[in-house]
Amino acid sequence: MNLSLFDSVYWAATAFLEVGVFCLALRRRLFTRLPFFTLYLGLVVADEALLWLTYRFIGIRSRISYDVYWTSQALLVLSRAVVVYEICRALLLPFAGIWKLCRPLLVGLGLILVASALATARRTVHPISATTIMADRGLEFTVASVLLFGLIFCRYYRVEIPRHLAWIALGLGFYSAIQVANNTFLGDWLTQQHFMVWGALRRASFNIATLLWLVALWKPLPAAAPAPVLLARGEYEILAPQVSGRLRELNARLLEIWK
Amino acid sequence: MIVFVAVLVALAILLGLVWLLFGSQRSAPTPTIGDLQIERVLPVNCRHFPQISQLLSQEDIQFMRERTPRHIQTKWRAERRSILKQYLSGLRQDFGRLERLARLIAALSPEIRKRQEWEWFWLVLQFHFSYRIIALKLALGSFSPEGLAGLTEMIAGLTTELENRMALIAEHSPSRMRTNAAG
Repeated sequence: MNLSLFDSVYWAATAFLEVGVFCLALRRRLFTRLPFFTLYLGLVVADEALLWLTYRFIGIRSRISYDVYWTSQALLVLSRAVVVYEICRALLLPFAGIWKLCRPLLVGLGLILVASALATARRTVHPISATTIMADRGLEFTVASVLLFGLIFCRYYRVEIPRHLAWIALGLGFYSAIQVANNTFLGDWLTQQHFMVWGALRRASFNIATLLWLVALWKPLPAAAPAPVLLARGEYEILAPQVSGRLRELNARLLEIWK
Repeated sequence: MIVFVAVLVALAILLGLVWLLFGSQRSAPTPTIGDLQIERVLPVNCRHFPQISQLLSQEDIQFMRERTPRHIQTKWRAERRSILKQYLSGLRQDFGRLERLARLIAALSPEIRKRQEWEWFWLVLQFHFSYRIIALKLALGSFSPEGLAGLTEMIAGLTTELENRMALIAEHSPSRMRTNAAG
């Protein structure tokens, strides 16, 4: 294994933090509310163990280690995408009408961004690692954008975001946003020195995200809110045109004044 | 250049996230059917529009022009503008309440129409844009005394329509939407 003492200590501390957050999630029974996020935390811990074993027995500079690292990263970024969808679903599902409107938009946006990320990565004329980094950047951008879009819906319809979900979402968004910038640096200036900085930033931003998740789970989860009582079917059809007409009139008045 | 853009994008994402997750509106409770009470969401300021309209009538302009010195007229016009600003602000508040009603209805409906939601979104954008332009024109004093009077009459005309609409919405509203606004 070619890790320095500092790297080994740092790695151990990171692993300790990740295991701690995973155990706290289990203790808080987070799997009853966010099963995919709990699974993701478990995957993070398993990924640390897998990488450590790979580097220990095969060596950090081998091609196999490179493949193991990027395959696990691809799996983790896809898991984060699923977790983002899970968070949006947890927030909006009680509001059936909004969720029916939002879900296809979220999925559509996600698919468009993933396709664009893969197309950009294929066009990259850099070595294979740059192609991988560009694909990773696109996927992280997709995760952050879908999360933002879902939260915009919550804001627009004044859906309250529970404290623990807010911190979990912030951790996910923070890590993805930093990776968008970080991967762009490396894609532009692909040298060994920059690679070290890139790696350090990547690890540090993930540690910060893990700390944000620790904050989310530090206090017991709030009691699940009861599902809101919805209007009867058809009431929207009666009320919406009335309100629409009123809004249109006020608007028309203002436009007349303006002209 | 691309690095600069990427840093800006990352910053925008982070700021957007913090604002959406921890901004002031986050503390507002999730809408419930209890919020759907007409008196809490329907326009209220428009009820005072006729009185304000009377204050700003055309006859006053004529009277002031004929009987008062110029400096008094200038002061008087500034006061009228100030009243109109408050008037417009009331109009915006009323629009805001209707906007809230629209979102509340959508949030609490098991089925909503995409087209309807887009229309509401577009109307809100249009209204806020027009409001800003008019407020700017008022602040710059671009309205003539006649223009101001016309504006007043126009807004005052809303009152009767709003009262009628409120009665209509109350009539068609579900039993949960308690009201004393219509009667």
